[in-house]
Amino acid sequence: MVFLPDESRSLPPPPLLNKGSVWLGFAGWISALLDNAFNRRPIFGAGIHRQVLLATLGCVVGYHLVKRAEYVHAKVDRELCEYIRQHPEDFRRSTG
Amino acid sequence: MAAGLRAVRRWGLVAAPPSLAFTRSAFVVKKANNAQPNWLRVGLAFGTSAALWALLIKQHNEDVTEYERRKARAHKCKQCS
Repeated sequence: MVFLPDESRSLPPPPLLNKGSVWLGFAGWISALLDNAFNRRPIFGAGIHRQVLLATLGCVVGYHLVKRAEYVHAKVDRELCEYIRQHPEDFRRSTG
Repeated sequence: MAAGLRAVRRWGLVAAPPSLAFTRSAFVVKKANNAQPNWLRVGLAFGTSAALWALLIKQHNEDVTEYERRKARAHKCKQCS
């Protein structure tokens, strides 16, 4: 199963810093800070390279996950609208 | 685990520490020295981060271009503009 099918490229891409990438980047940064804490290093000042790397990894993973989520949502919406279009009798505006 | 280690060493199959590999026993792990950074690892981490950002930004720009291209092609097919 493909992570991002070709038709997902027909969707508008999410902004570079979206909910997923910011949150996972933040989570990556926090995990670097936790690593500092558990190894009894200065929490913010130590291992800047580690903090940057883990935050970057989080952003990358978050961006691609958001792209996949938007594709799945769009696909479901398309199928829903197609079903509504094919069964208009079930979706009449109620008159009474 | 320690008894097994002693037995293996007695059989002469394993040398004395610290040449044991892939072990996290406190008897063989060196204490990490945070005062002298491993500059190779630091450089690799920063380099990898820079490469990852470059890839991400490039991927995003490609996505935007591809979306615009497909939108324009869809409009052209419908001949609305």
